[in-house]
This record gives sequence, C-alpha cells and structure tokens, in this order.
Amino acid sequence: MPEHDLIEQLDDAVEAMLRAPDAARVPDDRELAALWRVAADLVDVPRPSFRTRLKSDIERRASMATATVTTAPPKWKPKGFRSLTPYLIVRDADAMITFMKDAFGALEKGRAKAPDGRVMHAEVQIGDSMLELGEGGEGYPPRPAALHLYVDDADSAYARAVAAGATTLFPPGDRPYGDREADVKDPFGNNWYIGTHKEGGPIPPGMNTLTLTLHAKGTDKLIGFVKDAFGAEEVEVTRSPDGTVVHAQLRLDDTLLELGEARAGVVDEMPAGIHYYVPDVDAAYAKALAAGATSVAPPELKPYGERMAHVNDAWGNQWFLATLVKDPRTSA
Amino acid sequence: MAHEEAADERLLVEAARTDPGRFAELYEAHFERIYAYVARRVRDRHAAEDITSEVFQQALANISRYEWRGVPFSAWLYRIAANAIADRWKAQERERGTPGPEPSVEPDFASVEQQARLFRMVGLLPQEQRRVIELRFVEQKSIREIARELGKSEGAVKQLQFRGIEGLRARMVESNA
Repeated sequence: MPEHDLIEQLDDAVEAMLRAPDAARVPDDRELAALWRVAADLVDVPRPSFRTRLKSDIERRASMATATVTTAPPKWKPKGFRSLTPYLIVRDADAMITFMKDAFGALEKGRAKAPDGRVMHAEVQIGDSMLELGEGGEGYPPRPAALHLYVDDADSAYARAVAAGATTLFPPGDRPYGDREADVKDPFGNNWYIGTHKEGGPIPPGMNTLTLTLHAKGTDKLIGFVKDAFGAEEVEVTRSPDGTVVHAQLRLDDTLLELGEARAGVVDEMPAGIHYYVPDVDAAYAKALAAGATSVAPPELKPYGERMAHVNDAWGNQWFLATLVKDPRTSA
Repeated sequence: MAHEEAADERLLVEAARTDPGRFAELYEAHFERIYAYVARRVRDRHAAEDITSEVFQQALANISRYEWRGVPFSAWLYRIAANAIADRWKAQERERGTPGPEPSVEPDFASVEQQARLFRMVGLLPQEQRRVIELRFVEQKSIREIARELGKSEGAVKQLQFRGIEGLRARMVESNA
C-alpha cells in the first residue's frame, strides 16, 4: 500500500478504535494490522502527569514511613486521616470528584450512594491529605469551603483547574510569603488557593498538601473561640495596621487550620464543615459547649463506627467531633 | 528474568525493606506493568489510576513484611493488584446492590509485559511524535484539535501519528528479536 494511503487508513482505524474500543476490528491488510495492534495497546497508555504525581506521592509516603517507623498510629482516628478533615457539601459530588481528579490528581478512596443515586459520603485523598464531601440533604444545604492546596507546579495545576471549569480569582504570581500561587473558584463554589513553595520543596515545612481556610467576620474572636473550645495553639497571626487578621495559622493536634478576615469585594465569609477527630468526643463536646458552641447533636455512636457530636460556632462553622470506635475501612 | 537482573532486583527489594526511601526505584521499575495489567482489566482510566495508586501505596506499606522467595517482585505486585481489583468490584456490588460489570479475566502476562514495554517506549519517541501520540491516545483529541493546538496542518499531524506508531512497532520488533 502506498504510504499516503497507509497514513490515512491508520488514522481511520485509530479514530474508530477511540470511538468504540470494544467494536474495533483488526484490519485485513498485513502491514496495517501490525500498526493497528500497536495503536490498540496505546489506547491504555498512562497519563505522564499521573505517573509523576504518583511517584511524588510514593516518595512523600516513603519519607514519612522512614520518619515514623516506630510510632504506632492513634486508635481514635482512622488510618490515613489527620485530626481535621474539611467536609464539603456540594450539589453534584460526582462532578466535583472528577474535577479534583482532573485538576489536582485526587484519588478516590470511597463513595457511598443512597438508593436514589445521591452521594451521601465520599472520601478523596489529595497528596498527604484527606477531604470528605457529600450532597447534603435537609438541614445541610451546599456549603463550599476555602482550601489551601500545595502542589508540585502551581501554574500547571491552575491551568488544569481552569480547563476543568474553575474561574480565576487571582492569576498565578509570586507571593510575598515565598509561594508561587494562583487562586480559583471551582464550579461548585469552593475557593482553591493553589501554591508551590519556591524554596526547599513544594510544601513549606510543617504544612500539608491541603489546609482548610476559614474566612470570617471577626476572625480575631473566632481564633479565641477555637483556642478555648478545642485547645488550638496559635502558630502565626498577621494583622493589618488597623488590627484586622489578614492571615492566621492555628494548630489542632497534628493539623493546621488557616484563617483570614472576610473583606467586601475581596473574599466573602466562608464558614466550613470540619470533621475533627479527638481522643474523647464526650470531653471535647463538653469543652466546646463551655466555650460558647451551640449543640446540634450530642455524642452518639454512628453506624460507620464513630462516636460523633455536632456543634456549631457563632461564625457558621459546623464542627463534627468524632472518636473512632471501630473502623469499617479495616474491619470486615 | 536473566540471572543478573534477578540479583539486582533482590538487592533493591532488600534495600527498600530497610529503607523505604529506596522504594521509588521499585516504583520506577514496575509502574508500567502494573498500570498495563490494571488498565486491561478495568477498562476505565480513572479506575486504573486509583487502583494503580493503591497497589503502590499498599506495596510500600507492606514492603517490610515482604519475603524474598525467588519469585520476581512483580509477581507480588500483580497479586496486590488482582486483590485490589476484586475488592473494588465487591465494594461496587455492595454499593449498587446488584452485580456490576465484572472485571475482565486474568490477561496473559506476556502480553501485559509487552504492553508495559510499549508504554515505556512512548517516552523515547522524538518529541513531536510523542506529543501527538499523547494528545491522541491519552487525551483522546481529534486530529483537527491536535492540529490547532500544535499549529500544524492535519496532514502533518496524521503523518506524525503514523511515524510514531511505526517507530514504536519497529522498536517492539527489535526488542522481541
């Protein structure tokens, strides 16, 4: 067959193969068939970006394994989880999971659906961090969050997020705190502050891939509440000349929480849902109420193996305090 | 596996058992075959990525318990992958209440190995050919979209696709010889 015809026929065969992989048939022509077999194997070729991301994930885990080889994990929180996990409620959790996979290489760890197809609960992992989401229901309307994410390359993660439907809040740029950063809003209303630390690795020391950020009016008082109610430690508080908190970091057990004042025209108030693992949920619940939290549900054993309580704070944040009793992920 | 290669692999596995930092080298050596195996059985890119991640995370977590018994390290990884596929299928079945599409049967390992070799060879293609192959097969873009993205004519893109596939075939024939 003349080469020109071979080029055309090969492309026709590739096109058919990509459209309907199961219906594709080996061509009769011997030369074309040999090329066709190579093309058929290429349909499954892995994404180079996935290979690279998984390698960084494996390396990060390996370095953590080296560092913590002698410390046993606590029994009151599930394996792989830190103390705080953001809990988002969105209208279309399936679509949001796809967005996070495409934009940030998220790995789906579980997705539980109700008989009507609604996603009741899903867990995804991004880098070393977990994120939970569901589609809510009565009393739990959509509740997007602000998330500070560290990636290997903020510019390309930003480009992928925009390609996956996010809109730009701030385009990529070098920030005074040593990060290259781009800020976007995803199609589900969540803010993502996508950063890459410029010196000594993509994530600044002491931080994780994902950190929840609370935007509130009166951040100062919210910081006081989180310290009183949950025993948080202040890591850093940066104020503007008028005393407003521009940025703050608190540590709750092994997880950082970031806070920043909501300002008209810059960032709206963004309260969040927070799944907070504590060694003793009853004690934590009592302490939170004493500090001024409102009870929504007292501690109770849930079918998913956690003793859980729900309290709200005065800034609209929902705190799901939990102590793991029996992990359904690891027990049959 | 050649005798020398087996000895190298054994050393590497021993190193990774005591120093998890060395595990990345095992990942480099085995990524393509595990991905090829999983992708053949689940036929869905997202699922293939999730399961491949799980396989290497589990392997890393359990490497200290791995015992060298003279079988290739890949056999251990394949077994973790087969279990992960079965678990995922069972979980989906529970979630739906009805059996889902069953993962396809155990593929022939020689053809998995061959496909893994092909995946590695894509990275060795001349840059333009590789880019076209990735856009076409990974991102599943049309010739027209690729032409626009690369600022080339459609004919030129088809020719790069042809040269890429032809080049891969020639390398495969060589490596099988």
